[in-house]
Order: sequence, then C-alpha cells, then structure tokens
Amino acid sequence: MIDRRKFLTTVALGTASAAFLSACGQSSTAGQTGSAENPVTINYTWWGNDDRAERTRKAIALFESKNPDIKVNGNFTDFAGYWQKRATEAAGGGLPDVMQWDLSYLRDYGQRNQLLDLSTVKINTDAFDKSLLPSGQIRGKTYGIPTSTNAFAVYYDPAKLQSLGVAEPDGQWTYKEFNAFMLEVGQKGNGAFYGGTDYTGVWWMFNIWLRQNNIQAFTDDGKLGFTKDDLKKWWNTTAELRGTPALVPEERVTQLAPKSAMGSNVTASEVTWDNFMAGYLGDSGAKELKLVPVPSDDPDNLGLFLKPSMLMVASAKTKYKDAAARFIDFMVNDPEVGQIFKTSRGVPASKTQRDGTTFEGTDKLVVDYEKSIEKYLKDAPEPPIVGFGTLEASFKRVSSELNYGKLTLDGAADAWFKEAEDLIKQNA
Amino acid sequence: MTQSPTLSRRSSPSASPQPRKSRRRGTDARAGYTFLLPWLLGFIALTVGPMISSLYLSFTNYNLFEAPKWIGLDNYATLFQDERFLQSVGVTLNYVIFGTPLKLAAALAIAMLLNSKRKGQGFYRSAFYAPSLIGASVSIAIVWKAMFGDAGPVDQGLSFFGINLGGWVGNPSMTMPMMILLTVWQFGAPMVIFLAGLKQIPADLYEAASMDGAGPVRKFMNITWPMLSPVIFFNLLMETIHAFQIFASAYIISNGEGGPAGSTLFYTLYLYLRGFSDFRMGYASAMAWLLVIVVGVITLIFFKTSKSWVHYSGDSK
Repeated sequence: MIDRRKFLTTVALGTASAAFLSACGQSSTAGQTGSAENPVTINYTWWGNDDRAERTRKAIALFESKNPDIKVNGNFTDFAGYWQKRATEAAGGGLPDVMQWDLSYLRDYGQRNQLLDLSTVKINTDAFDKSLLPSGQIRGKTYGIPTSTNAFAVYYDPAKLQSLGVAEPDGQWTYKEFNAFMLEVGQKGNGAFYGGTDYTGVWWMFNIWLRQNNIQAFTDDGKLGFTKDDLKKWWNTTAELRGTPALVPEERVTQLAPKSAMGSNVTASEVTWDNFMAGYLGDSGAKELKLVPVPSDDPDNLGLFLKPSMLMVASAKTKYKDAAARFIDFMVNDPEVGQIFKTSRGVPASKTQRDGTTFEGTDKLVVDYEKSIEKYLKDAPEPPIVGFGTLEASFKRVSSELNYGKLTLDGAADAWFKEAEDLIKQNA
Repeated sequence: MTQSPTLSRRSSPSASPQPRKSRRRGTDARAGYTFLLPWLLGFIALTVGPMISSLYLSFTNYNLFEAPKWIGLDNYATLFQDERFLQSVGVTLNYVIFGTPLKLAAALAIAMLLNSKRKGQGFYRSAFYAPSLIGASVSIAIVWKAMFGDAGPVDQGLSFFGINLGGWVGNPSMTMPMMILLTVWQFGAPMVIFLAGLKQIPADLYEAASMDGAGPVRKFMNITWPMLSPVIFFNLLMETIHAFQIFASAYIISNGEGGPAGSTLFYTLYLYLRGFSDFRMGYASAMAWLLVIVVGVITLIFFKTSKSWVHYSGDSK
C-alpha cells in the first residue's frame, strides 16, 4: 500500500527534478545551416521609427523568399533604449545574430570581442568606396559593414518659410547668418513655430565646427583634442538665441521626445543627418523638406564628411555565421533592398545597391545633396573612442541643462569635461 | 534537518503510537522541504546568488564584457564626488519625504470614508483600489505623461482656472509634484490595510467617547490613531521602502534619461544608467549596496522610534 505522505514526497521530488532536467535539456546542438524544409532562424534587431520598421519588414520578407533556408526574426526599439538592451544581452552572452549598429558604439563592443570579424565570412564589399570601409574596422578586423552614408545638413520646410514670407536659404552662410535666419523665422512664426532647435547640443555639429577650425575631436591616443574654452566658445554660439523664438524651448523638446521638434511641426528648420528625411516627412506630414549645407565661418572649409549612417554587424557568438553573413550581404548589396529603403538609411554605400535604386522626389534631394557637397568632403571619421556613446549622450544632456538655465556656461563645460575625463580614465 | 520543528501537521485519524511519531515528523519535514525546493532553488539562484556577486562586483571595475578588476573601495569613494549621484540622492529623498506621508494620508482618509456604513460601499472600495492594481504598470506611466504634457487634460484644466503652467513633463520644477501625485494616486494597497485595521477597532470605544461628548477630531486622536498605530507603522515602513525603489514610472516618463534637467533622476534610475548605459556595473553595484544599507538603517530607526508611538493590544502602555 502506498503511504499518502510518501506518495506526496515522491510527487514533489519528481516534479522538481523534472523541471530541473528539462531546464538542462535546452542546450541542444543546433546545426550551422538550414534547409527549405528545416530553416534556421536568425535574430535581427534595429533601431528606428515605424517607417523604418515597415521597410525592414519588407526587406526581411524579400530575403526569406529568396533564401527559404533562413528565417529572420526581427525586433526594434528607439535609439536610446536600443543600447541599454544590447548591453544587457551582451552581459548575458545573448546578443542577436545580426544587428544594425552605430559608429558610436563600434569600439565598445568590437574591442571587447562581442562582434564577429566579418572578414572571416563571405560578404561582398567590391562595390564599396574604399575610403568608407575603414569606418567599420578596428585594429585590422572588420566588425561592421556600412549600409549607407549620411552627411550633416540643415533641413528646412519651404512651405512654412513661404507662409511667413521668409526667403529660402542657399546654404552659403556663416553662423551669424544662420542664427539671424532662425530668429527671423521664430519672430515671424509668432508662437506657431520656432526657428529651429539649439544645434550646439548636437555632438556631431560640434565635431563639424571643430573640423572647420582645424581641431581634432579626439587625439590618436584616445584623449580629448579640444579644450574647455573651445567647448565654451561653441556653446556660446547660440547664447543670444536662447529664450528667444529662434529656438524651441527645452521644455517642448523634452515633451515631444522621442519625436523630434521638426517631425512634430514645431520648428521650421533643423540641423542633423540628411537621412532623417524619410522619418521627418513621415512624422510631420510635410509635403517637402529641403537640405542645404551647415553654416561655416570659413566658406572653403565646411567640415563636412560622409559617415556610415549605420553598419551591419553580427554577434561573435552567433551559431549561424553563414546565414548571418548572407543576410548582411543581402541588406547592404541587394538593389531591391535599395528600392525598399531608398534614402531612409542614408544613401546606399554599395554601388550595386545605389545604382539599382531609383531616387525620386525627396530621396533624390538627399542623393543630390550628398553630391553637391562632394568637393567639401573630408575623410570619414574613424570609430570614435571606447565609451563614446556615453559621451555623446552626456553632451546632449549637459547642453539641455544649459538651455534650462540649470547650469551656467562654465558649469556646463566643467560638468562635461569631468564626465569625459573620468570616462576616458575608466576605459584606459 | 532533524531539529526543525516546522511543518508539524495534525496527524490523520489513525494516529500512530509515540515511537513512530518522531519518524513521521522527519518525513513531514522532508516533504515540506521538498515542496519548498522549487522556491528555495529560485531564491538561491535568482536572489541570494546575484546579491553576493553584486557585493563582489561593487569592489571591482566591471564593464560587462571583460573580467572584473578588483579596486577595493574606490567605487564607494568616488560616489560622493559624483554630482549626478548626489543629485539622484536629493531627488529620491525629496520623493520619499513628501510622497510617502501624502500617500499614507490619502490612504487613511479614504479608508475612513469607506469604513462608514453606506450603500454601495463594495463598489467604492473596488473603484478606489483599482488605480493601484494598474498603477505600477508601464501603460499608466505613458497615460500620465500624456495627461501632464503640453495641452494635456491637466494643462487645459488648470488653464481654465487661469493657471498657466504649461506641460509639467518638460518643466524641471513640476516633474516632482507630478511624480508625487502619481504615487499618491496609487494609495490602494495601504488603504486596504488601513480599512482592515479600522474594522478591528471596537465600535463601543467610539460609542463611549460620544457619550462623554468627544468630537470627531478627539475621537481620531485618542481612539483611531493609537488603535491603528501598528497598522500605520507597517504601512509607513512598507511605503518608505517602496518609495526608495521607484524606477519604472520615472524611466518611462523621462524616456530613460532622468530628465528634464535631472529632475527625475531617481536613485535606481541613475544606478541603471550607470550599469547599462555607461557599462559601469561595479559602480552600479556599489550604488545598489549603499541603498540596501541606507534602507536597512532607516528601517532600524523606524523600529527604534516606534516604541514611543506604536501601541500593540495587550501593551501596558
């Protein structure tokens, strides 16, 4: 006869050990390649808005139809949350197989052996401009393949300018002239919209200004190449605009986030990357946005450069190197992918993809813009220092506190330099 | 195992003679621990283990990717030179000191209203409890953000009365009141506990007081407060600890940045940013342990002071 208590003990033990055993049984040895009947699944993740998500889904569907042995499981978030998620995954050893990547974080993960050396797998880079590829390389290893290029530009909304009776800019302007333009727009906009956002809070615009003044942002040994005074001078560029209708107040910017002020129709101009065109058009519903070069006090040196707007990388730990490589190759080279994304990732970096894409309307504007600034372009930046993503974020935060009036100019410069030096020491 | 007196269950009708009983007790304990095992394994693997490793990490420089480097107390030392850290302490203390008493006051007030005999009390109780069921969720933080944004219902409502504050979400001096309102609004959990406590107070005490001519204030001060003090103490303790741990709503409302101008940079949010945005897990671990210690000390102080104002039934005081 079975004793009731003994029975219960056995059941409890059995259940516990069954749970334990099934947990252990997860580590099956999956094969490297799949077949049409038994496809492998790779995970792909990217940042972006709904517009990019829609395009990416189309690209994935196309890839799957051409490669029935591979399934792609897609996932996306906004830019800020994206990096926190990757950090968590990297710590747990579970980065997705293929990821959209940003230059800012390439060293953090590449130098710490989290990314696959893509020169060890088959990806065709024949159609790439040779000056662009080093942006994805660190110490002789290729961690990222650029999908596309972007450049800094000033956006403006011609319809809004027209309604105010403000002349369209030609992009040959000094900082003073650009500031005057924003002030005029803001004053005539009369609360309906502002001139623009405070461009001194954008790290890359600061970087361009440094280049215009022939200063290197980072020295070759990974230290800061500029001084506190340089930074103060930069932040002072818009000092007289703060608190005027030229600049959208920081309160508004904060509340609109994660949408941009331009995308929310709150400003008539914006200084940022030219590949934001599709996103801005989608968010704002504007019929047309135009691009002109950034201001410079030296008309021969605009400090502009083409940057890989994003890179494709693979996890060092992926079990499906072959599938990951095929997906990356497809995303960067396939002309049909170019047709899907147009310029929303930037201008396609691969000539095969670029030539296979027809650019019309605003997409043509972006391509034409990059052509028009060709004579000003300098070398693409190397992957910035380790921890650069943090520096970029704190640059934005500190300058926002400056705009809120929570920090003085000196206080802001001190705060940022302290964080930057601390971080460089930390990662040395 | 042998000395554990736990889990002695009333024996079945066919009670066995003495000698078997001790053996039985052993089997009982074994069965008990076996049933406890899933929880115990989880507790050790998911709570105790990580806590111990975070204690170790707090003495190291650990960037999530490379092996941690031992640096002794450096993390703890640099904490106090970090302005953002000090800011996060200030923000959190503000929230705890103002938010917790307000929340408890609201909970107690509503509990007293709901304690009276009236038609449809069951409905009101559920209705008032509802916010705290959904309150901790991500969705409500998003709703809150929309409500207090530019031209949101709150802004419009106040403008109607001639108060033009604009959106609270983007205004560094209004985000704290907003966060406190959000926590006060979630008074449901302490309210239910207060309500249960109020029901335990014998009605004849109030009757006697009324006979002696005591007004409502007097009755509250001399009957409700002392009789309810153990419950108040419990709620105060729980809610204070809870308030120190605020994270999700601040994360959502500030897009994970603690803005505007650091006004929602709560302790745990800064800890998270340090660990997962800046890859400084050692530093974040040190922050976590400091929080554990501080909350522990505060709890201890609460218990010490409680002797003077908390009355348990059967106390001689």
